[in-house]
Amino acid sequence: MSKAVLIIDDSKTMRKIITRTLRQAGLSFDTISEAEDGQAALDFLGQNKPNLILCDINMPNMDGITFLKEKAKDASIKDIPVVMITTEGGSDDVVQEAKDNGASASIKKPFTADQVEEVLKPLL
Amino acid sequence: MQSIEQIDLSQIVVQATTEIYDTMIMAEIQSGEPLPNPLSDFNRYVSGIVGLAGLCQGMLAIHAPEKVAMGITNDFLGMEVDSVDDDVKDAISELANMVGGSIKPALSPNGKDIQLSLPSVFHGDYTVKYFTQAYWVIVPFTISSGQFFVELQLRRNE
Repeated sequence: MSKAVLIIDDSKTMRKIITRTLRQAGLSFDTISEAEDGQAALDFLGQNKPNLILCDINMPNMDGITFLKEKAKDASIKDIPVVMITTEGGSDDVVQEAKDNGASASIKKPFTADQVEEVLKPLL
Repeated sequence: MQSIEQIDLSQIVVQATTEIYDTMIMAEIQSGEPLPNPLSDFNRYVSGIVGLAGLCQGMLAIHAPEKVAMGITNDFLGMEVDSVDDDVKDAISELANMVGGSIKPALSPNGKDIQLSLPSVFHGDYTVKYFTQAYWVIVPFTISSGQFFVELQLRRNE
């Protein structure tokens, strides 16, 4: 079965780093798609249903928490697991807020390929 | 919780910056001695700046000469860039964002007392003004393409 992942981050640099790290972690996705904010991701999800979503928290236009809330309203996508990527070192409240709004897990930057593999494998 | 006076700002800057380079970029980086005086006038530089607010106020900045900024981008993206384009600005602002996020736990144990702004980026010739009565440190780092600086300015929010 083919696997697809959607990376949501306003930074092109971070989207490229995540893509590279997924490969280093040995996680083979047939399709890696990108969106630069929550709204762009919702637009993408209107037509596509990836197996997994990796999402930044702090983004202009629509941030990660708002994206989670909007995604939860759409029955066709609400069950796609979301892993939050955060720079908010030590900010347990932000991570908890994401989990309260449906995030499956979180990964804090900077991250290693091993850490990414450990978090993502159970969700695939 | 420690007061700002008790925190070794250069140590947390070195730790955060080298950890990011080691884990996410996997390229050689060497920290140097903190500078005795601030840098304020930049010529043909790229700076990425994130603001800190909450328990303390300040900023975390990456200052890189154009050539080094392009080198950082090469390290990040694994592709050659030969001018300061949007990719370079994005890479420098993302580095500032990550270093800013990584220093938060050292300044506030649970991180919730300090908020980070979205990063801003500047390119060209410009002057950076300093907070009065602020604690500050600026640390040089050497990578294969040259030297860049990481600056942290903090003052208590009273």
